[in-house]
Amino acid sequence: MDYIIQTVISALSVGSFYALGALGIGLLFSVLRLINFAHGDFITVGGFALIVPSSAVVATVAIGGLHPAIMVVAIVAIVVALAVISYFLVFQHSQTSSPATMMIVSFALGYTLQNLIVMIYGGRPKAVNIFPSLTGQVQLSDGVSVQILQLVIIAVTWILLIALVLFLKRTRVGVQMRAAAEDFRMARMLGVNGKNVIALAFVLSGGLAGIMSILFVTQTGVLIFRMGVPIMLFFFIATVIGGMGSLVGAVVGGYSVGIVSVVLSAILPEELRGFRDACVFILVIVILLARPQGIVLTKAAKERV
Amino acid sequence: MLLEVKDITVHYSRLPALREVSVTVDEGEIVCIVGPNGAGKSTTLLAISGVLNPTHGEILFDGDKINGMSAEAVARSGISQVPEGRHVFTTLNVEENLRIGTSIRKDRENIEKDFKHILEIFPVLAERRKQAAGKLSGGEQQMLVIGRALLTNPRIMTIDEPSLGLAPNLVDRVYETLIDLRRSRGLTLLIVEQSSERALKAADRLYVLRSGQMQLEGKAADLRDGEKVRQAYFGFEEGSADDGKVAF
Repeated sequence: MDYIIQTVISALSVGSFYALGALGIGLLFSVLRLINFAHGDFITVGGFALIVPSSAVVATVAIGGLHPAIMVVAIVAIVVALAVISYFLVFQHSQTSSPATMMIVSFALGYTLQNLIVMIYGGRPKAVNIFPSLTGQVQLSDGVSVQILQLVIIAVTWILLIALVLFLKRTRVGVQMRAAAEDFRMARMLGVNGKNVIALAFVLSGGLAGIMSILFVTQTGVLIFRMGVPIMLFFFIATVIGGMGSLVGAVVGGYSVGIVSVVLSAILPEELRGFRDACVFILVIVILLARPQGIVLTKAAKERV
Repeated sequence: MLLEVKDITVHYSRLPALREVSVTVDEGEIVCIVGPNGAGKSTTLLAISGVLNPTHGEILFDGDKINGMSAEAVARSGISQVPEGRHVFTTLNVEENLRIGTSIRKDRENIEKDFKHILEIFPVLAERRKQAAGKLSGGEQQMLVIGRALLTNPRIMTIDEPSLGLAPNLVDRVYETLIDLRRSRGLTLLIVEQSSERALKAADRLYVLRSGQMQLEGKAADLRDGEKVRQAYFGFEEGSADDGKVAF
């Protein structure tokens, strides 16, 4: 029983993390048809921003040593700025191209960011320890203890989800953004400023990535210049099985992938655990064979089939 | 002259879709462009809205050049388009769809009044205010997009085939509403229509477009018998079609 509760919490926490990542990708895809493969690298940049830029072997915290509230705001601001600059410097110039071209552009941006990090910080992994108290365990009841960070990730995710839903439903720009996501040309013909809507999507996506950098680095305690790549793969898969262009789908997809991968590590026999990701991908193939348009069907996805 | 389209040529990649087409619309007028499928009617409206860019010619709105402006800038300048296929935002509810129409407006104090007014003109929209627009019937969606376009407070509204996919009695309703709006608000209308009979009934003036070129222009009153329009529309004279060479 204890084991089950711990597995459930762990699954929800991993699922939450993937859901946030998929949402960051889904936001951009919905208004721009861009699958941003640099999203994982945005998270990496946010992580490296915590420490003093130098190639020294031992990392010295900079922003990472500030008051937690200031640290969160600063990291989010840096990643938001990076996302917005990427739009104006890079994606804006390819936004009339095909989704495939934009995706390749995003790969190029991702590699550029990774190599910039290597140039500035060196290529070796660096240990950082922010919020050490969060990696401890908390006793839920007799014999059931879970990592505090897992609960924090779940809570933060739901706060962000609720805030995003309120923004999209209740504010004027939020409604404009939903309209643009569904029919960009029509929204512009009604005077909705397309550039503002896209820039706003980059702000939101970057903001999510910034918060994820902090959660991720707290979890792993290490900075590696390629650390955004493997998680990006899972975000992407989550977006695809959830249904491209649907934000609800992104969340559903994120949770599905997270829960499946944690449950697989719990139930697979010892000798197969190393192949957990392979098993997850097999499931993804099966889901996509059954529902090629993803779990949640959107107009955007229909256009593409 | 409120809107003046002067000799515009529009290309889709390299193929010309319109060749030196001119259209004028006066303040308060209802002007119809008719023509068969693929004549370039929608292309003309999309060029006016700033979605397509003419490679030649110019478009003047109230004396100012608007070709080359972005679609949202054209909308802000006072031209509202109801495009072909209606384009309601299906995942937004009826009220949100209408509110998108007010995105460009600065006169906040009048928005609420106009919003209520639109719900009075289209009571069915008031009933379904909180419903997803995708759930409305075709006729209701047509009302919604007209209402939405009106809420931008345009000086001229262009409509692409308001009758498309609607039952004849609903088409009558749509046209009655449009003509009422001209009477009550002095709205200027440029309507694209496939049916020349419908256009002759509604319009003050009529243009016939075929194969990307303007074939005929005239006052609806002068063309009422329909003979000239039919010739321009089909591109051959009555009775001469059986030689098989001039058919379109």
